Amino acid sequence: MSVQSRQATVAHRGFVFDLGSAAIDLARSGWELYSVFARTLYFVARGKREKGAVLRQMYEIGNKSAFFLTITMGFIGMILVYQSGLQTKRILPDFTLLGATYLELLVRDLAASIGALMLATRVGAGIAAEIGSMVVTEQVDALRMCAADPIDFLIKPRFIASVIMTTVLIIWAAAVAYVAGGATAYFAFDVPWRTFLNIQLVDHGDLITGLTKCVAYGAAIPIVSGYCGLSTFGGSEGVGWATTRAVVNSSLAIIVLNFFISAAAFVVFPK
Amino acid sequence: MISFKHIKKAFGPKPVLDDVSFDVKRGEVFFIIGASGVGKSVLIKHLIGLLRPDGGEIWLDGEEISRKDELGMMPVRKKCAMVFQHSTLFDSMTCAENVALPLRKHRGMKTRDALIEAKNRLEVVHMQDFADRFPSELGDGMRKRVAIARALTLDPTYVLFDEPTTSLDPVSARRVDKLIRELSDKLGVTSIVVSHDLASIFSIADRIVMLYRGKVKLMGTPEEFKAVDDPIVQQFIHGRAQGPIE
Repeated sequence: MSVQSRQATVAHRGFVFDLGSAAIDLARSGWELYSVFARTLYFVARGKREKGAVLRQMYEIGNKSAFFLTITMGFIGMILVYQSGLQTKRILPDFTLLGATYLELLVRDLAASIGALMLATRVGAGIAAEIGSMVVTEQVDALRMCAADPIDFLIKPRFIASVIMTTVLIIWAAAVAYVAGGATAYFAFDVPWRTFLNIQLVDHGDLITGLTKCVAYGAAIPIVSGYCGLSTFGGSEGVGWATTRAVVNSSLAIIVLNFFISAAAFVVFPK
Repeated sequence: MISFKHIKKAFGPKPVLDDVSFDVKRGEVFFIIGASGVGKSVLIKHLIGLLRPDGGEIWLDGEEISRKDELGMMPVRKKCAMVFQHSTLFDSMTCAENVALPLRKHRGMKTRDALIEAKNRLEVVHMQDFADRFPSELGDGMRKRVAIARALTLDPTYVLFDEPTTSLDPVSARRVDKLIRELSDKLGVTSIVVSHDLASIFSIADRIVMLYRGKVKLMGTPEEFKAVDDPIVQQFIHGRAQGPIE
């Protein structure tokens, strides 16, 4: 065999090997993530409640994110209505259903998805950094020595708090985005408040879809971020990696969940 | 008694422990020494199931424990406590809450009762005045004492100390040494101490094992270590920069 063909074989074997390794790593990570989720559900149903732990996390996840989410969703609401208004003005130009279609979109998809993506950056990074730091400083090992399961002790309160507070925050964020959008429509396109405040296009299917997304995203953020935190290795560099992975993977989880929940909603609640 | 039998452990392609075997007798103060990165902390973490060996067996009081799952390790962790290298107190809890945690989780005590018991335990290490302080408000020596109190709350038969005198001033370090010796002499607790601290090793050790390149280099009493004519052992116990240790 010539040197060139041997090199080509080694390169080929290397590529297949790398691809196989990546596939195995992905499958293993998927299984571990599922395991964290299943054990979290088990401890939610069977575990003992740590007094004040859920309330503390609700404050951390909910109250401390409220200002950030209010500002971002307010501006996103204004941008969305302004851009939609500009397009409408060029094509129709009739603003009668601007508020109604915007509200339908907000309830069915945008409030939950954009709000959860915002939360993933703040909450997901915080969870991964905190748990990752505990891993590298051996506090998680110390917890295991104290017979406190890290999933029960660290992930469960964050999971419960996140499901509740993500839902609450997204409802609030939707209201903020709607009012901000209404103000934009009024000042930029002279759409009267009464015309904009039109709920005729929103039905129970939209509400159920939106709420399902809130709960799913609220569950996904602490599970994915907690898993990234628990799988931290190394020192401060490892914590940095865990934080980055938490934000990227939580965002990815939200987008993938959005696709599947939306697809299911179109089947269950056809328009 | 604790027996490590042919323990093997590798992280990726790098072997850390390669066929390590030795016994630790009841009531003795047993030191594990060796250069940094030789696998001393890795070895003791196997005993309490924080790591699993790739090969070999670990026997604790006549029972093989290396294949036990997380739930099966609970009785082992009641029997074997560990004081971690950096104390590893939980930042979000006060000292008393830290010490109360094993009582609540292992023994199922109510929080109020566990806190009262925790304050009594803190008194033993002279930290009762700091019971309501958070770990971040304490110095290294104080944190170490709280960590020792937490490790002793369940009255363990075996206590594992991972570099207990690292980052302590000489006075605090000798106090920790005295405490470890007293645990053995007065309460019959078996202490396994991972350490580089030569002053500790030669003042309180009953027996010592030295690890080198993943294997047992030498095991014996401090006197035997001083007497042996091995350049690697001699370089280590005299702390010389020049010698065969890489």
